[in-house]
Amino acid sequence: MIPNIEYFTPKTIAEALQLLSKQENVKIIAGGTDVITGFHQESSRFTKTGALIDINRIPELHQISETTGSVWIGAGCTFTQVVNSPVVQKEFPLLVQASSGVGSLQIRNRATIGGNFVNNAPQSADNSRTMPLQEFLIRPYCTQLAFNEIVTNITLAKLPGSYHGSYYKLGRRRGVAISRITVAALLNVVDDAIADIRFASGAATPIGMRFPEIEALAMNQKVSDDLLRKLAIQTGELVLERTGLRWSTAYKLPVLQQLCYQELFNAVYGKE
Amino acid sequence: MQKEITFTLNGKVQHSTVNNNRRLVDFIRDDLKLTGTKEGCSVGECGACTVIVDKSAVCSCLLFAVQIDGLELVTVEGLEEAGGLSMLQQKFIEHGAVQCGFCTPGMLMSSYALLLKNPNPSVDDVKTALAGNLCRCTGYKQIISAVLDTK
Ligand SMILES: Cc1cc2nc3c(=O)[nH]c(=O)nc-3n(C[C@H](O)[C@H](O)[C@H](O)COP(=O)(O)OP(=O)(O)OC[C@H]3O[C@@H](n4cnc5c(N)ncnc54)[C@H](O)[C@@H]3O)c2cc1C
Ligand code: FES
Ligand code: FES
Repeated sequence: MIPNIEYFTPKTIAEALQLLSKQENVKIIAGGTDVITGFHQESSRFTKTGALIDINRIPELHQISETTGSVWIGAGCTFTQVVNSPVVQKEFPLLVQASSGVGSLQIRNRATIGGNFVNNAPQSADNSRTMPLQEFLIRPYCTQLAFNEIVTNITLAKLPGSYHGSYYKLGRRRGVAISRITVAALLNVVDDAIADIRFASGAATPIGMRFPEIEALAMNQKVSDDLLRKLAIQTGELVLERTGLRWSTAYKLPVLQQLCYQELFNAVYGKE
Repeated sequence: MQKEITFTLNGKVQHSTVNNNRRLVDFIRDDLKLTGTKEGCSVGECGACTVIVDKSAVCSCLLFAVQIDGLELVTVEGLEEAGGLSMLQQKFIEHGAVQCGFCTPGMLMSSYALLLKNPNPSVDDVKTALAGNLCRCTGYKQIISAVLDTK
């Protein structure tokens, strides 16, 4: 049973923040894909909730805009909005690819990018602080967000056209499956050498994270098949170190290493 | 704790009083008595509860009824045309896309939302639109053909 709750629909961020600080046991609801299933399944994260603050009627949170150096995505934008945005399509094809793999169309029509980060499964507006996503995510289902804060937007710095990326989500089946392993690689290769690399995984690690150790190993190295293999194998070992040995390791490790290799290869050779 | 809401139900303005904790699917089935909409998994995975809110397909098990205040709701009952079946529904029958029928209302609503946005979809467009609707009976091929055959 879902507890009988108070329900607020503020029209501005200021109004929402005021409600958050005044009420006890309040929770923000955006797309509701986590909140409502959580309620319905009587998850301990929700049982004490007495009021919901629905942020869907705050126009500012639903905008995607562009400045010369960056793209600003309102936290209340749904994945469908992200996928259909011409600006995001042009500047962040990898984000479009990842977003179009979230759940099903019905889920993408409701689920928001802000809700996704907060669920942790980056930025906030109390006195308005800004932080990298890496610092925002702490551990599974836990972020830096204070109880009286709202994520207002996600700001992404644009990249020069010479970057190439690749993303892969492995689930039990193709549609609507929770991801088991996700890998993303973004590379800038100049004169056959790696001038910049961002290499991250989700699901295989307890929270989404980049691999600074692997990135450091790759920097300024000449691209070769041996290098990509070495990076992929070491990434696998690093993940194993972080997650510890599990019953599934014998299956997951080789798959993860192969995926890392494949995604690095695709990013180097510009295959999407 | 309750709220008054006003919304468009299958083309007609409707006023209702709902509990804040009432899910849209319960509101549709138990309060509006429109039992065409089905509930399967209750957690957004099967699509049986799919309805259309402001022209987008959504799972009615993942919304609260209060959230549709001011919006436009279409349920499977709203597909009716001139007191009979719509072309889309007829094509489902012709192609053998209905077996036990439990998934059918959801399938119809996802297909209808697709055709609203894209009257001439490709096979891949149909598969993407229906990826969130599970069917244990047909094997999907008949459903995809029915949608492609509805112009
Ligand atoms: C069938 C199904 C399939 C799914 N598939 C995927 C998938 O493939 N990949 C994936 O990553 N996830 C998936 N999810 C998980 C979920 O849909 C996402 O995490 C989603 O993006 C959450 O967003 P929401 O707007 O629905 O969040 P809500 O349920 O509204 O909120 C989630 C949490 O975030 C908080 N919150 C929301 N917005 C803000 C804000 N602006 N500021 C502060 N706090 C906020 C809420 O208080 C709550 O704690 C799936 C879920 C379902 C039901
Ligand atoms: S009942 Fe809503 S998706 Fe299954
Ligand atoms: S016809 Fe039985 S589930 Fe689809």
